[in-house]
Amino acid sequence: MAASLGFGGNNAIDKFNANATPDAAAPAYPGPTQMLNDHVLTPASISSIQVHGATNTRRSLLDHVFKPVVEDAAAPGTTLGQVLDRVGVATKKLARFDIFKEEGFGVFLSEAPRSPSAPPTDITDLDISIRVKEKSRLVFSAGTDFGNAEGSAYTNAVARNIFGGAETLSVNASTGTRTRSAYNATFSTPINGNPDLRLSVEALRSATQKPWASHEEHLTGANLRLAWLTEHGDTHALAYSGIWRQLTGLSATASPTVRAEAGDSFKSSLTHTFTRDRRDNPMLPQSGYLFRSISELAGWGPLTGDVSFAKTEVEASGALPVTIPGLAAKSGVSLGAGLRLGVLYPLPLGYSLVGAAQPSRINDRFQLGGPNDVRGFKTGGLGPHDGADAVGGDVFAAGSVNALLPLPRTGPDSPLRLQLFANAGRLVALNSKGTNKEGKEGLAMDSAAVFKGVKSAVGELTNQLPSLAAGVGLVYAHPVARFELNFSLPLVQRRGEEGRKGLQVGVGINFL
Amino acid sequence: MTSIPSAAPSWRRMQIPRPLQRLFDHFPLRTYEANELPERPQHLTSSDLPTLYVFSTDSDARLGLPSFNPGCLKWQTLLRLANIDFRTLPSTNHSSPTGSLPFLLPPRTSPTTSPPPVPASSLLSFARRHRSQQQQQQQQDKNFSNLDHLDDADLPPRAQAYLALISHSLRNAWLCALYLDPARAALLRRLYVDQASSSRAVRAALLYQLRRAAAEQVATTSPGSGLGSGADGVDGVDEEAVYRSAGQALDALASLLRESGTAWFFGAQRPGPFDAALFSYTHLMVEYMSEDEDGNRDGSGEDKGRRVPLGRMVKEAGNGELARHRESMLGVAWPEWDGYRR
Repeated sequence: MAASLGFGGNNAIDKFNANATPDAAAPAYPGPTQMLNDHVLTPASISSIQVHGATNTRRSLLDHVFKPVVEDAAAPGTTLGQVLDRVGVATKKLARFDIFKEEGFGVFLSEAPRSPSAPPTDITDLDISIRVKEKSRLVFSAGTDFGNAEGSAYTNAVARNIFGGAETLSVNASTGTRTRSAYNATFSTPINGNPDLRLSVEALRSATQKPWASHEEHLTGANLRLAWLTEHGDTHALAYSGIWRQLTGLSATASPTVRAEAGDSFKSSLTHTFTRDRRDNPMLPQSGYLFRSISELAGWGPLTGDVSFAKTEVEASGALPVTIPGLAAKSGVSLGAGLRLGVLYPLPLGYSLVGAAQPSRINDRFQLGGPNDVRGFKTGGLGPHDGADAVGGDVFAAGSVNALLPLPRTGPDSPLRLQLFANAGRLVALNSKGTNKEGKEGLAMDSAAVFKGVKSAVGELTNQLPSLAAGVGLVYAHPVARFELNFSLPLVQRRGEEGRKGLQVGVGINFL
Repeated sequence: MTSIPSAAPSWRRMQIPRPLQRLFDHFPLRTYEANELPERPQHLTSSDLPTLYVFSTDSDARLGLPSFNPGCLKWQTLLRLANIDFRTLPSTNHSSPTGSLPFLLPPRTSPTTSPPPVPASSLLSFARRHRSQQQQQQQQDKNFSNLDHLDDADLPPRAQAYLALISHSLRNAWLCALYLDPARAALLRRLYVDQASSSRAVRAALLYQLRRAAAEQVATTSPGSGLGSGADGVDGVDEEAVYRSAGQALDALASLLRESGTAWFFGAQRPGPFDAALFSYTHLMVEYMSEDEDGNRDGSGEDKGRRVPLGRMVKEAGNGELARHRESMLGVAWPEWDGYRR
């Protein structure tokens, strides 16, 4: 027993076990007892809350969660139903700290003993006892992982609840098909006892192969991140990161563009990420929508560093279930569409907005194409190419439409679907062609040239048909990742862009 | 599949049945012009001239001034002696196909294609090919002579021994003076570190890496190596021995030049590869290390305070032959430049 609020009592006359997993402790309390239903509207107050089993957890953390419950219940007119709702919300909150086992939650209620001298009242005074089981504080794991277009093997050590306030330290080392090596350590803590507001610090070091542009990128850096969850389930994250990027290990066939960009740069940036995910199943969405935006400001003003730009990327996708007339049950057929847009706007270093700006570097520019975004093209297959190297672009738009059909005999509940799709994309680089270069010696572009360049690049997105591919394939939605096997053909492309005719395999968690 | 590069195993290419291949040939239905390159490569790599990637500063590279790296300067000088029209671009070892600068990129054959890079060891044969192309194009050969005088193979056999003096004694002294001498830290930062990044942490890491690599280099090739005489220098490098050896080498080279009879080594009428190799060190030593070491000499011990800077060692070697040699080399290779940075 680690913590209790108020006075204890053990005169159990009405004891019930809500058998509460955190989800089951929802407002409509599915109490097994008829008696409870009858008593939902009886006035009630809380005499004490006891939490058992949180041996390594600080009292202050539990106070943050349960104090509001006790204070709210002190208001006159509180009913038993309201008390139970609040206790349910609090246990769910407790579960989000990720330090207690999900199956270990138990909530017990009992009527507090009343002193004989107290005046008679119809308010039920409750003793609440909550039982939790803490997760192991130290966990080592190793395994394999699927990210977007990459498989990797990892070892991971997590120290949970280090100081008793749900702080987590996670140390991770991995190697993969593309990531030659990656190490990172993350320390994360809830702020103010709120599991929905977390601050984390991460140090990272990695070496990643970028075969589409004939080089390897080494990253060494750190970031500080504040993430919060809104009442509606949207997530926000605000992060500062300082990263030393080294572009090295060029292949023998590397293009002049990559050779000119090889070397070191330091990026100091602020990033805001917003995600609203209302899909029924992220791996195989049948209904709902996803909206995500990423906005980054690098180098400008106090940020300094070697690169300076504003970069923003938005993604929206949605799916609609299709009902088949005459079929009452879920058909498993759905239509989906997705759109991604992004712009990189070079800014001057320092506080000026109109000074000369350095054009973007290859590791800041967007890449487009591949089984996870514009299918039917190789990874980085769209946009400007120098020889065989995808050198990236500063402005892009990509969209897709698809239909998911259940396979015969497997039915709508199976994770297997037949997919028909068409997707298109356009990735354009900013350049100062056509602007007056008289007297211009250096690489820097003045603000007028940047504005004109971005404007013409945005205009370029729509002045011709986008690069386009269509095809048909199989989708398998595993809980860990989504697998796709597609047969596709490029319909429209640009010279230098790399379409993929025939079969293409996609593995990932985030598809367009 | 046509999209599989030719390097793919042959069984994968053979698997496509003919009808499928015919279907594939119809796609894509429409092909537009290639996308234009981004501004950075457009600006840096779209020159009509061959581009020599060297250690340099932006402004020096734009003017074609000598690189501050001896290895780069040697090849830059040779290309200038060969009368090749080229431009220089500041770069780092990360860019190079061999892992170290310099290397040369011939001009693009189309806006998005280019020939493979030319490593330093093939620069002369590139220069020959390039010159013969120029001659064909311009239909003239008035003072385009062949470039045999720039070839290492054309040197007399004993030149190899003297070349070793340059590539060991002078190089080690240069490395010691620039990388290991704390009094030259500001110079080292200015030349090699500050341009790479504006971040202090990155600079510190790069400086550390540079110094460690240089110390290893010197330790494996210097006369005092392996003795563990760490009392005097960094990482077991006997700096006194390194500088002494450099002084002897400079004296030997000065007397070799005196014997030559012409302004160039081995009695040649025109400067050759040996002249370029020596110039790449003497020029930089005079240019960057003629002054006494700045910084707080009091704290760095008595012997360091008395050390003669490398630039002055060059000027004082023999009867000043090496200093005159440097001047003449500048006159031939950089006739438009008076030898002073502004």
